[in-house]
Amino acid sequence: MGENILADTLWDVVICGTDLPQCLLALSLSRSDKKVLHIDPNTYYGGSEAALTLQDADEWAARLSTQESNAVFKAPTISRSKSAPNLSTRAYSLALGPQFIHARSELLSQLVSSRAAQQVDFLAVGSFFISKAASDGQRHSMIRIPSTREDVFTTTALSMKAKRALMKFLKFVLNYEGSENADTWKPHAEAPLAQFVEDHFKMDLELRSYIIALTLSIDGKITTQDGLAVIHRHLTSMGVFGPGFAAVYPKWGGLAEIAQVSCRAGAVGGAVYMLGTDIKDTKTVDSISEVELTSGDKIKTRLIVKGNGGAEDGTDISRLVAVIGSSLKALFTATVEGAPIPAVVVVAFPADTLTAADGTANKSPVYLFAHSSDTGECPSGQSVLYLTTSQSPHSKEVLGLALEKFLGSGDEPETPQALYTLCYDQSGGQLPGRQADDLNMVLPSLPLSLAFDDTVLKPVHDAWKHVMGETAVDAEYMTFPERNGGMDDNDDDAYE
Amino acid sequence: MDASDDASLPVLKMILIGPSGAGKSALLTRYCDDEFEPDLSQATIGIDYKIKRLSVRGKAYRLTMFDTAGQERFRTLSTSFYRGAHAVLLVYDISSRASFLTMEKWFEEAETYTVEGIALCLVGAKLDKADPASASSPTSETYEESSSSQQHDDDSGSSGGGREVSTEEGKALADAHGALFVEVSSKTRENVRKAFVETVNRVVTTPNLLDKVRLNRSGSIALENGGKGGRRGSKVDDAGAGSGYGLGYLPNLGNLGGCSC
Ligand SMILES: Nc1nc2c(ncn2[C@@H]2O[C@H](COP(=O)(O)OP(=O)(O)O)[C@@H](O)[C@H]2O)c(=O)[nH]1
Ligand SMILES: [Mg+2]
Repeated sequence: MGENILADTLWDVVICGTDLPQCLLALSLSRSDKKVLHIDPNTYYGGSEAALTLQDADEWAARLSTQESNAVFKAPTISRSKSAPNLSTRAYSLALGPQFIHARSELLSQLVSSRAAQQVDFLAVGSFFISKAASDGQRHSMIRIPSTREDVFTTTALSMKAKRALMKFLKFVLNYEGSENADTWKPHAEAPLAQFVEDHFKMDLELRSYIIALTLSIDGKITTQDGLAVIHRHLTSMGVFGPGFAAVYPKWGGLAEIAQVSCRAGAVGGAVYMLGTDIKDTKTVDSISEVELTSGDKIKTRLIVKGNGGAEDGTDISRLVAVIGSSLKALFTATVEGAPIPAVVVVAFPADTLTAADGTANKSPVYLFAHSSDTGECPSGQSVLYLTTSQSPHSKEVLGLALEKFLGSGDEPETPQALYTLCYDQSGGQLPGRQADDLNMVLPSLPLSLAFDDTVLKPVHDAWKHVMGETAVDAEYMTFPERNGGMDDNDDDAYE
Repeated sequence: MDASDDASLPVLKMILIGPSGAGKSALLTRYCDDEFEPDLSQATIGIDYKIKRLSVRGKAYRLTMFDTAGQERFRTLSTSFYRGAHAVLLVYDISSRASFLTMEKWFEEAETYTVEGIALCLVGAKLDKADPASASSPTSETYEESSSSQQHDDDSGSSGGGREVSTEEGKALADAHGALFVEVSSKTRENVRKAFVETVNRVVTTPNLLDKVRLNRSGSIALENGGKGGRRGSKVDDAGAGSGYGLGYLPNLGNLGGCSC
């Protein structure tokens, strides 16, 4: 090894950014002999999926307010409750874009087969609720959305007629790809799911809001085709890893943890890591990119892989993250015998249930993810709420309203208070100027969805193939033997 | 003892941190394999962790020891590296003042990302170089120096050969953090085993430490397929303390793939 590993190596790939897709690429290459340099302009791992301490969040917000306007994140505001001035910054790990992972997601099988899952703790995602306004429009109450047969039978929230409609629908979804059922929905594939269930299952407004909530559709306008696929995934994921839950959430900040663990695997395999370092300048000489890094280092590489900086779907959302001074214990309960205690619970506020000061009601649903301190994202005795809705002139106000209704809907004698809030917009527009060619590849960022979307896995696989060239064996993709910890019998040691 | 028995042993996680070139990998290799390669800066590639079966005061444990995988070189160790650790060895090079001066930061990081009260041990490495006779002979030892023109606070700087950090200074820093202190030489084996023995001893004699670490993991169970259990806390979930869920433990694992949605 020479004195200057950066300059003396001809890198097979320079991966720029530690958003999840780039990190999965590093993981996929971790058992190859390819020379990998992995850099990130940020000083932390995870990119758009990062989990931040309160201090990180302060710095992140300060940096954003001085940045050009095409950044993925915009308009951050932070407020701290005067009653809780001294939060210990390091005790928090707030996810910028929390997503849970369905039990049947290909991501989980890749993490297991690549052994990366061994370093991650997965927690159960529990029930979905609807927040429903009482007739006086003031107090909201939460109703658990029945999503299994047993649930539908036992729920008291639905009329007999609604139960029948829901049961029929769930049965339909479980076999929605069967030819008979497909004939029913295919003509309406691109029409809104809400319309489809109204027309074909005679669902009323309330029942429709349950169905839309299950899809986690950000604007509430999910198509029949996409909506059926999502609900099918939800139903078939139920019980895969144990009774009573359909999805898991990685402890300590969700996908950020998977990003970090993947990078560690990359490093174990010999990849070199540099944070706080970006590509400053690139020129091509003889099919090799000569790259100048912001650190001043000059390196040579066969390929550069970057993220596209934003999701491709063009949606824009507003987010509110709130640290709550209560464990919200009543919320995190197992609903089925033998089920683990959930660490994440989902609450949906349907469209038209929250009214801004000027009288406008929310056009899109608001989704609230409640995370218990089991996620490691806050100290025990507290919880973290993540609220998301489509961006609009009213979206921040609407998020604030949803938070207020949620906190007022519990049975606790004292209404829990937000100790800290972080509000920001996130844009899904693709950044310009990221062209792909023989020397450059672009990995799409995660869609702005609330559940992990497997579509981002394919481009990672493609990038892996590109780097591996002729040595790529598809069957070996992300499938690795145990790293030998070196234990054999003479490794025993006895201490007196 | 067969593998399935092993899986049921309590797992202790120890991590080694400290500046690049301090001698962490050499220390681990000496303790686990009784080997020392004077010039093998890339030796850590492919080693995620090492395992030893221990019997401490008549009780058996599995000690997993995690090296930094070189991620300390540009100070890019991730917070996830620290999760679930029962013990941290903080390693500097007694022949490099610069390496010693980074230790305050390493203590801070260790204390930040781990459970309060875990066993810390400050290790002054390359004790053989304290002896001026051997120090004057130019060894083939090279620091894993960052070539980057950016300031990396982990570059321990070139060592002059002899001792640059006194035993008293090392001891004082360790005391200030409630840490154990040992000076070792991976080259001569001196005190190598002692560093590990005393640290593990502290882990198992610290009241509630194992419980505390387990709680912090929310009762995660072993993830490996087939229960070979390569990692922490195999049995701990039996206490039912939390909601962690292990994928490898679950029956339907083989059917995970192939979902079209
Ligand atoms: N003389 C001497 N050299 C050592 C000792 N331990 C490590 N080294 C050398 O110091 C250099 C860096 O050691 P290494 O274990 O790779 O450091 P790491 O970056 O902390 O893992 C290597 O060249 C080692 O051979 C020791 O105890 N004595
Ligand atoms: Mg090393």
